[in-house]
Amino acid sequence: MTMEWWLLVEKGIWFGLASLGFAILFNVPPRTLLLIMVLALIGGMTREIMLHFGIHVILGTFAGATIIGLLSVGTSHLKHTPPLVFSIPAVIPMVPGVLAYRTMLGFIKLASEHIDTSVSQTLAETTSNGLKMTFILMALAVGVSVPMLISRKETFKYLFEPRKDSDKN
Amino acid sequence: MEGNVNHNRVDVKEIGLVLLDIGAILMSSGANTTRIRTTISRISEAFGYSTELLVTHRAIMLSVTDSAHHSFFSSLKRTSPHGVNFKVVSGISRMSWRIVEEQWDVEQIKVELTRLESIPQYPRILILLLVSLAGSSFCRLFGGHVIEMGIVFIASFAGLLIRQETIKRNFNPYLCVYFGAVTASLISGLSVKLGWGSTPETALATSVLFLVPGVPLINIFIDLLDGNLMNGTLRGINGLIISFSIALGLLTAMIIYQI
Repeated sequence: MTMEWWLLVEKGIWFGLASLGFAILFNVPPRTLLLIMVLALIGGMTREIMLHFGIHVILGTFAGATIIGLLSVGTSHLKHTPPLVFSIPAVIPMVPGVLAYRTMLGFIKLASEHIDTSVSQTLAETTSNGLKMTFILMALAVGVSVPMLISRKETFKYLFEPRKDSDKN
Repeated sequence: MEGNVNHNRVDVKEIGLVLLDIGAILMSSGANTTRIRTTISRISEAFGYSTELLVTHRAIMLSVTDSAHHSFFSSLKRTSPHGVNFKVVSGISRMSWRIVEEQWDVEQIKVELTRLESIPQYPRILILLLVSLAGSSFCRLFGGHVIEMGIVFIASFAGLLIRQETIKRNFNPYLCVYFGAVTASLISGLSVKLGWGSTPETALATSVLFLVPGVPLINIFIDLLDGNLMNGTLRGINGLIISFSIALGLLTAMIIYQI
């Protein structure tokens, strides 16, 4: 059991490092870097734990992205930065890159192959990979926007601090 | 409303042009449609004007009116794709709140916009190293080992370098992605060809992941969920073409190596 926990933490660290690279690529403000890594680590570990208990990857990704989305509201207050600056780089490591790669390879194979028995298997695999990829992407986007969707607010500026009288207009 | 009355002396054309600039900058920096809409309404309301917006992938159109409909301004601006820049998105968001709370005038906004646009990116070598490290992390997450991670590091580094250089030389953006993908997969494909490492396929699959357009892909669904169906669809097609460019790069390497 201890070995598994260590593996989990190790994966979390890789999630954090992957998000760091993309955060730098997206040119985020330096003050947000550390928190982005922490969010990615927590989100990624949530997904890994759920996968470990046999929960489907789409649901696991949704849970991970939702946690990142919810936490990003708190961090955005801490650093006075829009939540999406935290949540998008943090969910990038969960983007289904290998599934996208396999889907593309499948398309290429389907386009080049002669019609024989292996086509139906390629078709089934490609469809499955493509659909999984689409649903995982949707889970990421919906998970990240969960705070906005459930609170029906366009801004979280006044979540913790009451709106000043002068702002009410 | 006292503050707003004061603000109303700002010329409608002046504020309209600034709002158009802000919208165009946000669109180029990778903000989603709703964020552009709310930011622009927030700023224009601070000046006592109401704004209607049409945001599309490559152009922004807005009409600014005052509450009494005495003055009216309408204009259109082309937006150019620059690539994601969250320092600008974050800076404009902060600025919009300061405009409301500290009652900035238009000059202050212009100065701040110039400042935001001139903030330098991270040092190039740092971008290259950390993105390559991110590639290696992906490789590890998908089950690669040290050798594959090293190969992915080198492949991502070279691929990103080529992509940056081709962008600098003003190639078609999809072609830049293709060049990056070919470079990365030629390097990682070599390890597959020579059979290095225990899972060389992982190296090939993850060496091009640094090209995956993460922000546009997530913005697709955020826009669709917000009901901005047209923008979401356009972003989707853009993401699809980028993905095909990556796949084409992979395919080129695979044909060259016969793997």
